[in-house]
Amino acid sequence: MDAKKKVAPKYLSPEIYQSLEDIVGKEYITQDRAILETYSKFSIDISGYLKKHAKDPSNIPACVVLPSTTEEIQAIVRLANKHKVPFVPFTNGQLGIANYPTKPLPTICIHFSRMNKILEINTKNMSAKIQPYVDYGQLQADAMKVGLWNGGTPLSTSLCKISSQTALAGLYQTSMKYGTLGKNIVSLKMVLPDGEILKTGSISVDSVDDFWEYAPGPDIYGLFRGCAGTLGIITELTTKLHPWAGEKELPEPPAGRPSIHTYREDKYDHAPPPKLHRLYWAEYNDIDSEIKALREVAHSGIGIGLNAAGIYNSYYCSTTQEQTIKRTKENFFPPYNFYVICTGITSHKQLDYADKVINKIIKETGGTLLSKDHKPDVLKVLSTWNLDCIRHVCGYRMSRYSYLDTWFCSGVPAVGNDAQEIWSEAINTIGETYITDRGGVDTTPFLYASDPCGRNFFTEADVYPNPMDPQSLQQAQQLMMFSIGRTIAKKIGPGVTAFGASFEPLTSFFPEIGPNFHLFMRKLRKVFDPNGVCSPGRQIFTKEELLAVPPPLVEAINQLRQMNGLDTIDISKME
Amino acid sequence: MNLKSNLEKIVGSEFVKDDYETLNKYSSDQSFVKPSKPDIVIFPHNVEQIQKVVKLANQNNTPIIPYSSGLNLHGATIPQQGGIILNLSRMDKIIEINEKDWFVIIESGVTYQQLQDSLLPKGLRLMVPFGIPPKRSVLSSYLERDPVMAAASFEYGNYLQMDMEIVLPDGELFRTGCWNLGGRPGGYYGPGVNMPFRFWTGAQGTLGIITKIIISIQHLSPVRKYFFLCFDNLEAVIEPLRKIQMKEIGWECFGLNRFNLTALLTDDWKVPESFPTTKIASSKFDKLLKSLPAWTVAIGLTGSTNFPEEKVAYEEEALRQICKDVGLELLESLPDHSETNQIFLEESLRSWGILKKFCYKGSVHDLSFKVPLDKLPSMERLMLKLAKEGNYSQGDIGGYFLILERGRGVHIEFDLHCNLKDKQERKNVEELWNKSSQYLLEEGALYDRPYGIWSELTYKKASNYHHKIKQLKDEFDPKGIMNPGKIYI
Repeated sequence: MDAKKKVAPKYLSPEIYQSLEDIVGKEYITQDRAILETYSKFSIDISGYLKKHAKDPSNIPACVVLPSTTEEIQAIVRLANKHKVPFVPFTNGQLGIANYPTKPLPTICIHFSRMNKILEINTKNMSAKIQPYVDYGQLQADAMKVGLWNGGTPLSTSLCKISSQTALAGLYQTSMKYGTLGKNIVSLKMVLPDGEILKTGSISVDSVDDFWEYAPGPDIYGLFRGCAGTLGIITELTTKLHPWAGEKELPEPPAGRPSIHTYREDKYDHAPPPKLHRLYWAEYNDIDSEIKALREVAHSGIGIGLNAAGIYNSYYCSTTQEQTIKRTKENFFPPYNFYVICTGITSHKQLDYADKVINKIIKETGGTLLSKDHKPDVLKVLSTWNLDCIRHVCGYRMSRYSYLDTWFCSGVPAVGNDAQEIWSEAINTIGETYITDRGGVDTTPFLYASDPCGRNFFTEADVYPNPMDPQSLQQAQQLMMFSIGRTIAKKIGPGVTAFGASFEPLTSFFPEIGPNFHLFMRKLRKVFDPNGVCSPGRQIFTKEELLAVPPPLVEAINQLRQMNGLDTIDISKME
Repeated sequence: MNLKSNLEKIVGSEFVKDDYETLNKYSSDQSFVKPSKPDIVIFPHNVEQIQKVVKLANQNNTPIIPYSSGLNLHGATIPQQGGIILNLSRMDKIIEINEKDWFVIIESGVTYQQLQDSLLPKGLRLMVPFGIPPKRSVLSSYLERDPVMAAASFEYGNYLQMDMEIVLPDGELFRTGCWNLGGRPGGYYGPGVNMPFRFWTGAQGTLGIITKIIISIQHLSPVRKYFFLCFDNLEAVIEPLRKIQMKEIGWECFGLNRFNLTALLTDDWKVPESFPTTKIASSKFDKLLKSLPAWTVAIGLTGSTNFPEEKVAYEEEALRQICKDVGLELLESLPDHSETNQIFLEESLRSWGILKKFCYKGSVHDLSFKVPLDKLPSMERLMLKLAKEGNYSQGDIGGYFLILERGRGVHIEFDLHCNLKDKQERKNVEELWNKSSQYLLEEGALYDRPYGIWSELTYKKASNYHHKIKQLKDEFDPKGIMNPGKIYI
């Protein structure tokens, strides 16, 4: 391979490019190679990095357009359909154009950065109507001023866009009470892949206000949630708000703090929790006692968040990589710990009550609360969470080394045991790419309560490969695939689809899911995207696309299946 | 081989019926939906039988109407194009009560009474909608998004449905949630798209047959307490309730108008076994009606697994403070009715006492819809105006409202009572019900469960949405066999 070879994207025809320019205006479209490059790197996409190494141009869009209205987006989508040119919706750039692009290049990248307004905060219906580029930090800052908030921010950063999280993720530290983002959407206004407009929720009916999440009859919103941008583009979104007991302003810059590891200020790093909020940290000697306590706390009804953060603390609360590694090696943080976020929405007595309940449960389950008398130094370091459990502003300065992928699984609290078993097996078989890959092996797996009574916990394991080293990236991919295969073979939780996302080739090659979930998804794609132009190849292959999957990939997946005791797949015989 | 003998082969001849009486029984309910007879009624016993029946129906283009308890009361199971009534009442197993992680796995035929009776002795409870028949299928009620009494509580009264097992319209088996691999249940996420289960809700059995469902259950606290607020009109209700909800006090918050509260407290009426029922005159009802306030709001506080008295105490204190601030008297029972607290505590677990209202005229025709909380008074004013214009006694309108998600919205039910045997009365009430349906919609009512004429009325104003669900229906049920004549008209 020629290391100096320039990778060129395939450009649009001048006629199509001109048509796009006519829609958005000359200053809001580009095919400048240098700018396109910034739209070809995706934050947690291992295959995207591997494509970079292989000088594969398929992650580079042909152009970037910046529409400012629903109508402009609709015109772009119609143009793409007319010319059968693929397009991808883009906010922060978490996902690649497609792991396995099934349409010929070029691809239009539609970036929503100009659509960044909060259109309305409705204090009576407790909701906020926003454009697709509004982020959590922006929304919370405005909502808190009127005594409301949206119920949380993701564990990554509050700069995440709510619209793209609706299409994919949205797990909060406060999901025990508020659920994931999926439970917090009132309505969507979408441009569908064929260019039609669709509204979900109560506004699907012309005469009805924007207040309720269900449209009449069968619910389509449930199909959009987790579609990873393959079933349409959200152009307006109304999200639920909830009573907020804290101050009108949190002590932080609204756009997030500087991404500089030496930048530290006590007002962020060791700030007290917001008014009428408290955090409790508990430690345990083993995972079984920890899980028992998690269940008891969730059942007790106290608190708004309940999470076991594990190794996350090492890189989250450390200033440098060296400190992260040192703390990980030394088990500076208790290997089995969790935290409870409590608030006094009803009154301050609600907090006193929670305090009494927590102390009782921790004592009865054999745990110890961190306090000024027990590991105060650890508690001080953990105080970074005091603010970030509400608005995650520190994500960009986390000392984690090239986090690139996550294996998710979910279920009742016992899923924590499964997660530890599977991830330990993966690490022991394949080896770690970085020390923090070991989170969940010698320590608690991440466990996030996402249901009021703890019936559902999300658990995850992360990989941190060296993005400059293809071998390290491939090893990370193997860790992911190993765990996915085990999860499906052991029938744990929803398997590969725990977080609502399913990506090819996993969707089609594991018909155990559903079963035959791929056929379900194929029907959706047929109805919503008849021309196959909206992020094609990302979530579900057509039969023809499946048959075109390269034999080496088929072989690799079949090896994975065999390794887990599953039958091999003959794609020529698959539906 | 004809359809009947094929079906007999699948489910057994004793579970296939096509006699006149049986077919007649399934041709109507107490609603105004036009009667229509099925061709045959079958009683499958397991999922495999259902799959075979669905595949057979596809071969023969025969409609299938999933039927759990037949207590929808809004015409959802009336076979508008004939076909097979798939009566799921034999599939009535409570497969698992998971006391550790608080959920149940049940089949289609499990009833509210059956499930609640199984849970309460274990210190657990099912969340129930208000005014639900005891023999109503829990599965179909949850699928049809009947709002539970605790709907005011974002976390304890919403999203109670977890995983599902479905026979799709092509006869294939499918599962949603953590259960999709057939392993351990545990939440509605997945497969793939995060919350696909919602697709089958509100669908009236038109997108498949749900054979098993997993539902969240809750701890039955030994400490529960009800409080009451009395109002002369609904305008006065809004701000106090908003203040109470913003403090997240209690699980239940709902209002009953004079008529409905009277019906609940009338002790010489019994909950009917079937609907419609026989009209029963009650002097107690007439007398009681005069003594009760126009609207009574009930607020239910619930303890938890630890120190339940203390939880109820801090919520009660906050509630009392708000009432003091707004100048409202907070009552622990209604004047001259010391039994009310106990009645409401019981209703929050077994909520069928209010069904005594059917004894007033024999049948009840509700207009049930959702609006933002602010619109509650204007919707009542409109309903009263329409009743007056329709020569229907305003005092005979039953009223119920239920706060949704801390005041984000309100679910309203206005009841029109009717003696179906009196043809003129039936005609008048039906006309009023039809007209009210239209006018309430124009004023912003959301019929999110579009039964009967609500479907046509609503989808006229939701053409894009309707077009898309129709496309989905055509894709998933290409032969259109699942409960045809509903929703996709």
